[in-house]
Amino acid sequence: MERHQNRYNSILLITLLKYYFLKETRTPRNNVVVHRRRKSKSYRLSYRSGLGAADSRLGWSPALTARRLNTSRKAAGISNIAERVDPGQLALLVKTEWQLSYVTPLHQFRHTQLKSYARQLSAFIAAGKQQGLAVEVEGLQTTFRVSFSLVQGMTQSDEDAESVLVQIHSKRLFARQDEPQKPVWSGWLTCINGNPDYLRALPKDFVCLPLFGCSGADGLSALVKSWFQQSFDCCFGLLEISHTSLQWLMALWTNCHAESGIQHLKMIWTLPAAPPLQVTYTVDPEDAWELWSSVRKGKGGGGGGEEEEEAGENYIDIEEVTSFMQGLKSHFYRHFRLDLSAGSLNQVSTALGSAKYSGRMKISNSRYMITTLTLLTECALLKMPI
Amino acid sequence: MDDSAKRLLQRLMRRIPTPTLRSALEKWGRLTTEQQKSMDFTQSKWALTERLLGICEVNSAIFSEIQINVNQGMWYAFQLMDPEDDAKSVDLTQFKEQFKSHLRELVRNVSIKMKKHTDEAVWIRIAWGDTFSRPNHLKPTYIVHYLQTPYVFVTSITSKQKPLLSQALVLSTRYQAIKDANLSGRKLTAIRDLLMKKYQQVFPTKYPIPPPENNQTISNQHIEKEQAELAANRLQMACEAFGGGMLPQLQSAVYKLETKFRDHSNKTMTEREEPFRCVVKFTSTNLLESFRHCASSGIASTPVTPLLSCIPLKGRNYFLITDNGPGPSSQRGQPQV
Repeated sequence: MERHQNRYNSILLITLLKYYFLKETRTPRNNVVVHRRRKSKSYRLSYRSGLGAADSRLGWSPALTARRLNTSRKAAGISNIAERVDPGQLALLVKTEWQLSYVTPLHQFRHTQLKSYARQLSAFIAAGKQQGLAVEVEGLQTTFRVSFSLVQGMTQSDEDAESVLVQIHSKRLFARQDEPQKPVWSGWLTCINGNPDYLRALPKDFVCLPLFGCSGADGLSALVKSWFQQSFDCCFGLLEISHTSLQWLMALWTNCHAESGIQHLKMIWTLPAAPPLQVTYTVDPEDAWELWSSVRKGKGGGGGGEEEEEAGENYIDIEEVTSFMQGLKSHFYRHFRLDLSAGSLNQVSTALGSAKYSGRMKISNSRYMITTLTLLTECALLKMPI
Repeated sequence: MDDSAKRLLQRLMRRIPTPTLRSALEKWGRLTTEQQKSMDFTQSKWALTERLLGICEVNSAIFSEIQINVNQGMWYAFQLMDPEDDAKSVDLTQFKEQFKSHLRELVRNVSIKMKKHTDEAVWIRIAWGDTFSRPNHLKPTYIVHYLQTPYVFVTSITSKQKPLLSQALVLSTRYQAIKDANLSGRKLTAIRDLLMKKYQQVFPTKYPIPPPENNQTISNQHIEKEQAELAANRLQMACEAFGGGMLPQLQSAVYKLETKFRDHSNKTMTEREEPFRCVVKFTSTNLLESFRHCASSGIASTPVTPLLSCIPLKGRNYFLITDNGPGPSSQRGQPQV
């Protein structure tokens, strides 16, 4: 394991140097509008807004860590995801609450070898059970059947790797043949609209699927993660959804109200009183939508005339998001004289989905899955240790 | 003891979790000390139930009171309105007789048990039945009424049973109406103390400045003094708003806001005619304690807004807030529909 670790570190170090070196000399081909916006606004403004989300472990000077949470984001359009992705797989992904983690790039992961991986993982879990590592799910006679499947149609760019879905079914000794088996554990790895510079800079052997979501028994999650770590020389880490990301999700979801009603906008805050005070702030959807629209219209020429024309209404800026949040907070303060900034935002939810600071997320409507996953992929990429 | 009573006791014993069985029986207090000692709690629940049945045969007790200890439901407060001239002179016997006769007129098959506790509270247990079925003792309604006050606390009642109970209460207490006091909570003692102001109230007087801490090594005396004064002011205002000492353990408060959005930085929303509708719910293990701490530590700006200090002042935890006329939005609590 030591040797692997060293090899991994050295490879990634070289990658890193290549990436930063190339970034300075090469003009990025896409993301043109986004970059221009960044330059016209104060560079430090975008740095500060992103720093909240960026991994504080980096601690490097801003010149080297040019990656940060985008300050401008494409608003969710109607995506035809239902046509592109197998509906059975889509149904598995929505309406479940997932615990999110970030994963470092997988070494020598092949999308063509999924069947073999399923067998290996199955054997690994059986071995783990023998050693008493796994938590028993349903009694002593359970053996597990693992399946790896490719979820095609989710990728948005050429650089994104295809998403993979992992399911663990329990095989009960006396189960009937026609019984529909719900998986006792599911997980998926995905990369949606990942930063193309970062992805291109990775050496050929590495596959980047930075976002991992799982649902099921903790013991099985731990086993699956350790198998991945052993087989592909990667690391898992808890992905917390930062305050900025939660605000983004709030804004992105509210923005969709005209197309698919959000039914309510609910925020859960915790204030540090003794004993702790929880505030559940639920806003009527129409009123939330009007507040959001007023914040968007009010924004006049921010960076310059020509960007506005190109961007149109399709791009949302971080300032609009913070104004939206500020409006909600000030309305609250006017009544209760309690400053919500003193506390922390724990959860945001609408009919389209919910997200918690602890890294738990649920997508309730498949139409906006891509937007949500794009944001979360970005968060995961920012957490990469190197 | 008849068969149905025996069956009821068996079912009750099954529902009480085994670890709390001993304390539940102690609290019930119907067994004498020798009888309590004779119960061997290492036996199985079935054996214990048999033993208890035997004891109860001897005692012929009102075993249903055990349920009060197991009851984990929500209590709702009601207030009687518009007393008649002789409302103040209603005594216990009169109230008991009147209540029973009025309720029996309204409901065919109903089992009513009334008991007065030492703290002037009358506990009423109602098992509801109807023309075709016997009273259901497994889902009783409990009512607590303090004589000489207009307050009534109720738990476990359905919307069908509520008007019948209201009618009987109003007639037997010699009031004209009963309304929802917009106060609810899990602990009866908490909402009772809040509504009847049985907790330490703090009135505006000079409050002693908390003594400065001695274990701070480097501290600027001027900063200390200034901050201590501000902290003392905040503490005073917090206590005036919410009370001093131990506070009743309220768990939640709900505010339904339908006021206009007003923000200088957002012209579009400020000019909007319709109210900005939202619902704010505060929850905590001890809500009033949390609010007091927010006020004294500065999370909440002092003086405390009337919206929050309304909770102990008016003794309610559900509010509908609307704009009331021109000028800055004022708060006005409205009864729940």
